[in-house]
Amino acid sequence: MARMKFYCDAERCIECNACVTACKNENEVPWGVNRRRVVTINDGVPGERSLSVACMHCSDAPCATVCPVDCFYTTDDGVVLHDKDICIGCGYCFYACPFGAPQFPDDGAFASRGKMDKCTFCAGGPEEDNSADEYQKYGSNRLSEGKLPLCAEMCSTKALLAGDANVVSDIYRERVIKRGASVLNKGVSYQNASLRASAVLKDK
Amino acid sequence: MSKCTWIFFRQVYFFISLLIFLCLLLAVDATASEPATSKVNSPGSELWMNVRKNMATGKVTSQVKSVDSNVLINSYAQRWTQFRMTQLINYGLIVLLAVFSIIFLFYVIRGRVKLSGGLSGHMVHRFTDYERVLHWVLAIVFLFLATTGLILLFGRPIFIPLLGHEIFSVFASASKEGHNLFGPIFLVSLILMLFSFVRRNIYARGDLTWLLRGGGIIGKSHVTGGFFNMGEKTWYWIVILIGLAISASGLILVSPNLGQSRIIMELSHVIHSIGAIILIAVSMGHMYLGTKGTEGTLESMKTGYVDIKWAEEHHDRWAKECHDNNRLISAEDYAKLQGKIIQNAKVSNAMEENK
Repeated sequence: MARMKFYCDAERCIECNACVTACKNENEVPWGVNRRRVVTINDGVPGERSLSVACMHCSDAPCATVCPVDCFYTTDDGVVLHDKDICIGCGYCFYACPFGAPQFPDDGAFASRGKMDKCTFCAGGPEEDNSADEYQKYGSNRLSEGKLPLCAEMCSTKALLAGDANVVSDIYRERVIKRGASVLNKGVSYQNASLRASAVLKDK
Repeated sequence: MSKCTWIFFRQVYFFISLLIFLCLLLAVDATASEPATSKVNSPGSELWMNVRKNMATGKVTSQVKSVDSNVLINSYAQRWTQFRMTQLINYGLIVLLAVFSIIFLFYVIRGRVKLSGGLSGHMVHRFTDYERVLHWVLAIVFLFLATTGLILLFGRPIFIPLLGHEIFSVFASASKEGHNLFGPIFLVSLILMLFSFVRRNIYARGDLTWLLRGGGIIGKSHVTGGFFNMGEKTWYWIVILIGLAISASGLILVSPNLGQSRIIMELSHVIHSIGAIILIAVSMGHMYLGTKGTEGTLESMKTGYVDIKWAEEHHDRWAKECHDNNRLISAEDYAKLQGKIIQNAKVSNAMEENK
C-alpha cells in the first residue's frame, strides 16, 4: 500500500501562497482556519527560504496519541484523518502537533473551540466518498477520484510534492544528487543562493 | 620452532597490536577534535536546524496571520505529548490510587477517631449558613470538575472499549462543556472562600506542635488547635493556592482567542493537571476526615453547630474561647432551636396549604 506524504522543497518554494489559496478554495475551509500556510525563514535576507506546511500525516501521529476520544484514524494510504462527529474540540491535538496543523474554528459558545479542522490530504473523512455530508465537513475528496491534493498539483515550481512517499523521495533524491553535483562544481546558483552562502562568502 | 607455533604467535601479536591500536584510537577520539575531512550537509538538514534555532529569535514570518502561524516546528509539542501520555496518565493514576489505599489502610488500622468523653449535648455555633452554603457549593463544583476532568484524562482506555466511540464522545463532550462552564463558578466560590475564611486560617502559635505530633497520629492525647488546627489551615491554603493556579491555567486553556501561544497553553495544561491531581489526592483525605474519619465533624458542616466535647478535643483553644465568652447552648435550647426551625417549616407549609 502506498504511504502518502507531502514534501516541500525549500530550494524551490517562492512563497507565492497559491497552495494556501487553492486549499481554502478547494475545501471551503471554515472561517479563520488555514489548513496550509507558507512560512518564510529570514525574510528579505539573502538566502531566505520558504516552506509550505500543513498536516504531515505522521506515521505515528501525536494528535492521534493524545486525543481523549480517539477520533483519529490512518487510512490504507497512510493519510491521517479524523471524525468530526466524535471530536469534542478539546484542543489537545493542537498542543501535541509540532507543526500547528490542527485548527479550531471559534464557533462554540463564548468563542470556545469548535470541531477541529485540519488538512485531509484531500481525502475527505469517514463519510461516504464525495457525499455532500463529507464535503460540508471535510472538503473535497480528490484522492478517491485518483487525484492528488490540489496544493501540490498546482504548485508552479513543483516545490510542494505530494503522493506515494517512495515516488516523492525518488524525485527529491534525484534533485539532491543534481544539486550535490552543482555544489561540488562550486559557484553554481544553488550553492550561492543557499543558507550556507553567508558562511562561504565570509571565507572569501 | 615449527610453522604452526609461528602462525600462532603471529596471530597473538596481531591481536595485541590491534587492541593497542584500538585503545589509541579511542584515546585520540576522546581528546582530539573533528576529523580533517570537510563535511557537506544536506541543505534540508541545515534548514530544519535553522528553523529550530529561529523558533526563539523570531526571524520566521508567514503571510497567514494567526497565533503561532510563524512557528514552523514547536519542539515543545513532543515534550508535552510525552508528559501527558507517559507521565501524567501513569503517575497520576498511581498517586490517586496510592492516596486512596493509604486512607483505606489508615481506616482499617486506626479506625474511626471517636470522642473519648462522648457527647455532652451542649452545642456551640461554628459555621454560619453562608459559610456552609459556600463550602458545599465549592465542594460540589469541585467534585463535578474532578469527575469530568478525570473522564477526559483516563476515559479513553476505560470507557471506549465499554461504550464505543460514539457514546463515549457524547459523554466526553458533555464532560468538556460542563468542565468549561463550571470552572468559572469554582473560581468565584474560591475567591469568596478566600475572603470569608482567611482570618481564621493564618498560622498561629501551637500549630508547630500540631505538625511535630503529626496531627495526633504520634502520641495518644489530642493535639492543640485553634478554630482551625494546623492540618485544616494547610488544607485551606492548598485549596486556595493550587485552586487559584488551576483556575488561572484553566482560563488560559478555555479561551483560545486571547492570543496566547501554544507553548503557554502546553505549560498551562501541565500546571492545570499536576495541580488537579494534587488537589484531588488531598481532597480525598479531607473528605475522609470530614465524614467517616472523625466523630462529630460532619455535624459542623450539616447544621453549623458542634458539640462542645468535640470542640474541646479537636480545637481546645477555640473551645476555651467559647467557654470564656459563654457561647455554649444547652441541650434544651439547642432542641428548641432545631424544633423552631422544624416548626417554622411546618407553619409555612400550613400557610401554603391554606392558600
